[in-house]
Amino acid sequence: MMNCAQYRRAILAEPHAADPELAAHLQGCRDCAGFTERLLRFEGRLELAMRVDTPAASASGGRAAGLRRGWLAMAASVLILVAAGSLWLAAPNRSLAADVVAHMAGEPQAWARTDIAVPPADLAEVLSGAHMRLGPGAGMVSYASSCTFRGRLVPHLVVQTAMGPITVMVLVHDSVSKQAPFDKEGYHGVIVPVPGHGSIAVLARGQEADLRAVEEIAARVQSAIVWTGAGTGS
Amino acid sequence: MKDHIGGNVKRARFQALCQTLRPDLLRFAFWLSRDLALAEDVVQETMLRAWKAQDSLLNEAAAKPWFLTIIRREYARSFERKRLATVDLDELIAREEPMLAAAQDQELAELRAALFKLPEEYREPLVLQVLMGYTTAEIAAELKLSNAAVLTRLFRGRIKLRALCGEDTSLDPEE
Repeated sequence: MMNCAQYRRAILAEPHAADPELAAHLQGCRDCAGFTERLLRFEGRLELAMRVDTPAASASGGRAAGLRRGWLAMAASVLILVAAGSLWLAAPNRSLAADVVAHMAGEPQAWARTDIAVPPADLAEVLSGAHMRLGPGAGMVSYASSCTFRGRLVPHLVVQTAMGPITVMVLVHDSVSKQAPFDKEGYHGVIVPVPGHGSIAVLARGQEADLRAVEEIAARVQSAIVWTGAGTGS
Repeated sequence: MKDHIGGNVKRARFQALCQTLRPDLLRFAFWLSRDLALAEDVVQETMLRAWKAQDSLLNEAAAKPWFLTIIRREYARSFERKRLATVDLDELIAREEPMLAAAQDQELAELRAALFKLPEEYREPLVLQVLMGYTTAEIAAELKLSNAAVLTRLFRGRIKLRALCGEDTSLDPEE
């Protein structure tokens, strides 16, 4: 049987390891569960930190490389096109979806299928930060956390549905002009505008995820939200 | 004529591949070198070399590790060519401040500065794992290390990084 030191040593090397022995230890050890939660939160931040914005490439290249050799002239067109490829990072809606998906990497434990609901007081505390509460129409919430997203604390919820766990992020500080579906890195989701209260991102993961069902759940969650404070006005 | 059309298709495919991979390749080179200008040079030289050697890429699905291997070689070559001088870490961080700054998120900027301070032997496997999604075995193959050595570096790297970031490490296991 693995002890705590062995467990922590293993997940500090591979935080997303899917070893049954690690899972068995985690299930029976509250201290290591807390340790893992903090580590995975750190991992999410670490990935975001590494994902620096990349500047567009210039046709003349960097500091030293010049297009000196004959065959380089043909390759120059590659570099010019590559410059356009970097511009996706600047597209705000795409970037919002990318940030939501990147955030998911830090909290894989949230995706567990479970029939245990978050205690109402815990859920209320997480939602109060966004000046909202959730009516019963949203479904059973199995995970609720106040997460740092783009420098602000936002509610990160997981709702259990017939098609499995669905993640909801309430992005009161990020407005979108229209509903924006996305399909990225195995996540299918939609960002829905919420006039006066930013937007909500709703997403499912895996091959079986159906975007249409996700959109229906997004509508259901949105109609279950009761705003208890002033909107962002954005 | 047929060859010309074939050449155009080949070029278009290669362009599309570069376009898709460039942001991550540049990030990898940046974290490796901690120098944006050098990273851009290395990625540019990598793409030119890759263009020349594209026939050796038999499977596009393997393009990312193929490019990463070239980047690591190019980065090593840049050391041999320029015999880069040792730079003060604070100076390095100040120089790359625009890249390290994160809008409205001081914590992220501090984490990036901490990554700069992490020795290369720990930084590189961490970037390969966290940013590039490499498995331990893939990192071991790329860095020519044993799996056990990679695991040790990842473990020590996280311990050091968390300490640099002021995280609570009181429950971390001893080495």
